[in-house]
Amino acid sequence: MTATKKPKSGTTQARGNSTLWWIIGGVVGLGLIVWLAMSIAGEVPVDESIGYGDPTVEGDPLPVYAAGQQDVSVGLTAPTVEGADWNDNPVSIEPDGTPKIVIFLAHWCPHCQAEVPVIQDWINDGNVPDTVELVSVVTGTDRLRPNWPPQDWLEEEGWTPPVIMDDEITTVAVNYGMGATPMFVVLDGNNTNLGRITGELSTEALDQLVQVAEASIEG
Amino acid sequence: MSAQTIIVFNNLFAILTLVALAGAIGLTVYRVVRGPEAAGLLGGRAIWLAFAVALVSTIGSLMYSELFHYVPCRLCWFQRIAMYPLAVILLVGAIRREAVVRFYGIPLALIGLAISIYHNLVQFFPSLEGGSCDPAVPCSARSIEMFGFMDLPFMAGVGFILITILLAIYTKATE
Repeated sequence: MTATKKPKSGTTQARGNSTLWWIIGGVVGLGLIVWLAMSIAGEVPVDESIGYGDPTVEGDPLPVYAAGQQDVSVGLTAPTVEGADWNDNPVSIEPDGTPKIVIFLAHWCPHCQAEVPVIQDWINDGNVPDTVELVSVVTGTDRLRPNWPPQDWLEEEGWTPPVIMDDEITTVAVNYGMGATPMFVVLDGNNTNLGRITGELSTEALDQLVQVAEASIEG
Repeated sequence: MSAQTIIVFNNLFAILTLVALAGAIGLTVYRVVRGPEAAGLLGGRAIWLAFAVALVSTIGSLMYSELFHYVPCRLCWFQRIAMYPLAVILLVGAIRREAVVRFYGIPLALIGLAISIYHNLVQFFPSLEGGSCDPAVPCSARSIEMFGFMDLPFMAGVGFILITILLAIYTKATE
């Protein structure tokens, strides 16, 4: 007696053919998607240095400021920063006798995106006295994240405060103990830290920062 | 990993997401139009497709964290917790042709979907997660933005939706 191979039934064979077509269709479809993904990405050369600066920082760093907590570094001297904006115009944070409000921003941060127009409208309404200087620091820049490059975003918003472009390793932010964005640092004319605060601020809160800065002159 | 390579993969996963979304919508419409017999469209292949979705999502998630060095935020981790086991559970279920796999797969997929819906809401309304961004791993900030609206939690959400629909259809096919 010899064993005979049972012939495949028509249904089984049809199911096998059908599965084969599914696999072929899947592979071809995936190939098309990969081709499409590569085509869309293109080969546009991008200057990787866009959005970064080359600031120098001198002085002891401030400890990290955690959002919502009391700033333990009030009274400490903040580091001096020499940097430039995206057009290479020099901008500094130094003990030059003028109190400052330093604003740290990241282009991808939705809270910064919401806060920038609020601050700009507040500036346009004449709420910043000549005795206080606003300086901004653009940090955390990442080409692969949304709203890049930061200079396009700030130009679109009509941003008027001078800007220091932080470097790729966020040297300025690290030295100012940035724990979240946006972050506001109030300094007196000697670069002494009068307080840091993070998050979206109302115009009333911005007025208070100006009052703290102005009080340092009177004090 | 060069930025150009990451952009190619961003596009790849974004297109796959659109295809998955179209598939989910198409299957839902087909089910509504054809009724219970719609389950016959994919038959037993539904669970293999669900496994493929979970596998691609898992590989994609690991690529973003391990190769592209995107640190997953808190909500991303919760979605990973839902997606990663699905890749294993659905593979075992597909090999063993066990209809019971739906009792494990669908709840996990729905939990993941709920988290990804919340994560998408946080990205549209950042104040849901506070008023500032953690510079390292903010849940409210988009890691990528494809076609003007699509980020990683959106991709995950579409994956969870498609897995749920495929498992529901597989359920019908096996009854």
